Amino acid sequence: MSDQSGKHDELVHPAARPFLWLDAKWLKSSMLWILLVLALGFAAIDLFHHRHEYVHLAETPGFYALWGFGSFVLAVMVGWFVIRGLLGREEDYWDGEGDQ
Amino acid sequence: MIEALYDVSPAWPVIIAGLIAAAVPNHYVRKGLALVAPVLAGFLWFNVPSGVHTGGIIELGGFTLETFRYDGLSRIWGLIFIIAAFINALYGLHSKDRVGDASGLIYAGAGLGAVFAGDLLSLFFFWELTAISSVFLIWGSKTNEAYKAGLRYLAIHVLSGVMLLAGAVIHSADTGSWAFDESLSVNTLGGFLIFLAFGIKCAFPFLHNWLQDAYPKATVTGAVVLSAFTTKLAVYALARGYAGTDMLIWIGAIMTAFPVFFAVVENDLRKVLSYSLNNQLGFMVVGIGVGTELAINGAAAHAFVHIIYKALLFMSMGAVLYRVGTVKASELGGLFKTMPATAIFCIIGAASISAFPLFSGFVAKAMTLAAVAHEGHYIVWFILLFASAGVLEHSGIKIPYFAFFAHDKGHRVREAPVNMLMAMGIAALMCVYLGWPDMFGIPGGYRALYNLTPFPEVANEYPMWTFDHVVGQMQLLLAALFAFAFLVRMKWYPDEKRSINLDFDWVYRRAFDGTARWGHAMFGRLWASIGNVLAAARTRMGGRLFQAFSPMGAISRDIPSGMLAIWTSALLAIVLIIAYIAP
Repeated sequence: MSDQSGKHDELVHPAARPFLWLDAKWLKSSMLWILLVLALGFAAIDLFHHRHEYVHLAETPGFYALWGFGSFVLAVMVGWFVIRGLLGREEDYWDGEGDQ
Repeated sequence: MIEALYDVSPAWPVIIAGLIAAAVPNHYVRKGLALVAPVLAGFLWFNVPSGVHTGGIIELGGFTLETFRYDGLSRIWGLIFIIAAFINALYGLHSKDRVGDASGLIYAGAGLGAVFAGDLLSLFFFWELTAISSVFLIWGSKTNEAYKAGLRYLAIHVLSGVMLLAGAVIHSADTGSWAFDESLSVNTLGGFLIFLAFGIKCAFPFLHNWLQDAYPKATVTGAVVLSAFTTKLAVYALARGYAGTDMLIWIGAIMTAFPVFFAVVENDLRKVLSYSLNNQLGFMVVGIGVGTELAINGAAAHAFVHIIYKALLFMSMGAVLYRVGTVKASELGGLFKTMPATAIFCIIGAASISAFPLFSGFVAKAMTLAAVAHEGHYIVWFILLFASAGVLEHSGIKIPYFAFFAHDKGHRVREAPVNMLMAMGIAALMCVYLGWPDMFGIPGGYRALYNLTPFPEVANEYPMWTFDHVVGQMQLLLAALFAFAFLVRMKWYPDEKRSINLDFDWVYRRAFDGTARWGHAMFGRLWASIGNVLAAARTRMGGRLFQAFSPMGAISRDIPSGMLAIWTSALLAIVLIIAYIAP
C-alpha cells in the first residue's frame, strides 16, 4: 500500500506520471458534466440534420441517445436487483462441490 | 507459389508443431515452434491460389476425407485463426509449461483443421481434437476448481462431438453424402443433431455455461487461447451449414441480451469477459440467421475483429492476474499507475468491442445491424441496440474502469512482461487499423477487412462511413457513458463485492447433481433393504429346509407307512375329483 495520489510514490511507472490527473477528484466530480455536455451535443445534431434509417422510429431526434441511456440504466437495474438480488450467493457457494 | 503445397491444410504444421512440443523438454525450442508454426500456416494460406480450392484428400476405410477446402468462408476464418495462434504464442512466451505449449498448438491446429474440413467426418475428428486438447489449458491452472471445471468442459464438448457424429451418420444415411455444406437442415433428425452440436460449442442459451465456468479458471495464457477458437469455430460451422435458418435470429438475439445482466454484477473480470463473449457471439448468430450476403459478411467480419479485441481484453486481464494475482473487481483499482501500457491496450480493446467509430468493432457490427433492419427484423434490431449499450457497460467501462481506475487499491506491481506487451500491442494496432476509414484518398484499414469477407463486393458497396452512422453510434455510446456517470454519482451503481451469481449451470451442478446423489443414496438404501429382506428370507428358508431335510429334520423322521398311504389316497382323490369336474 502506498500514496494514493501517486505523486510521491516511487513505484508509479514513469510513463504513468503525466497521467496522474486521471485520478484527480476534480476530474471525477466533473466527469458527469463533461459527458452530459458531449451526449447532449451529439443528440442536438438531430435538430439540424435528419438521419436516414431503415427503422423509422430511429429517425426521431435524440432516439439513439435515449435508447443508449435507457438501455444502460435497464441493464444495471436488472443486473443489480434481479440477478444479484435473486441469484447472488456467497463466494464460497461452490466450495466442496462434488467432494461429498 | 509452390504448387506442391496447394493441397496442404494450414492445420498440419500447427498440429505437428504441437505434437513435437509435447515431446521437447527445452523451453526455447517449444517457444520457437509456437512462433514458427503459425508463420508456416500463414504461408500455406497465402500460397493457395485465389478462388475456391479443394485438396488434401485422404482415402481412409472407404471414406473420402477432404481436409482442405479453401473458399470465401474458410479463408477469413483460417486467416484469423492463424493470426490468433501467432499472437497467443507471443503472449505465452514467458510461460514455462510444456503441456500448455503443446495443447495450445494442437488446439489451434485442430481449429484450423475444422475450418478447412470439407466433410463431416473430418470436421468430427478436428472438432473432438479441439475439445480434448483445449482442456489442458484449463487444468493447467492446477487448482481443484479448474480441475472440476475442466471435467465439466470436457464432458460437454465430448457430448457435442458425439452428437455431431450421430447427426452426421444419420444425415449420411438419409442423403448419401458426408459433405459439410449448406445441405444441412434443422428439419431432419441428423441435421438437427448437428445443429445442437454446433449450438453447444457456440454457447446457445441454456447450453452456454461451460464458457463462463471454464474460461475464468484457465491459465493466464490459456484463457486467451480459448477465447479465440472454440466458439468462433462453432460460428463458422453454423455459417457453413445453417445460414438463413430463422431460429438462429432469435437465438442470437437472446444471446446478445441476457449475458449483459449477468456481466453487470459479476466480480471476476475474466468471467465478465466470458459473458461478454457470449453476447458478442449473439451478434454473429443473428447475422447467420438472417443469412443474406450482407449479414454473412457482418458475421464473418465480426468474428474476425472479435477474436482480436476479445483476445486483447483477455490478455490485459491476464497480465493483471499475472502481476496482481487476482482479477476480482473488488480487489482492483488504480493499476494505470503501474501498468500504463496494459491500461492503454485494454482501453483500445474496450473501445473496439464497444464499437466506437475508428475502432474495429464499429465497422463489423454495423453490417449486421443494417442487414437485420433491412430484412425487417425490427424487434431484433432493437434488442441488438440494447445489447450494444450493454457491451459498453460490461466490456467498455467495467473492465478498464475497475481494473485500472476506480478506487486505487494500492497495488504497486510491475508492468506486464515485454512479450505480453508486444502481443497486446499487435492486437491493439489491428483494432485501430481495421477500424480506420478511407482518408485523403487512401483506402482505410477496414477495406482490408471487407475484402476478406465471403462477399467482398457486397461489403465494399455497403456505405459504412456515413455521417448518420457515426453520429447515431456516438449518440448511443455517449448517452450510455453519461448513464454510467449518473448512476455512480447517484450511488445507484452496484458496488463490486465478493460474490457469485447462479446461472443455468446450477441445474446440472446442483439440481441434477443433488438428484443424482439423492438417487444414489436412495438406491443404496433400497439395495441394502432388499439385501436384508433376502438375507432374512434365506435364513428362514434355510432354517426350514434344515428342519425338513437335515438328519434331524422332519423328512428324515420315521413316518408310519399307514399315514403315508392315507395321504397318498387323499391326493389321488383330489386329482380324480378335479379330472372329473374339468371340462
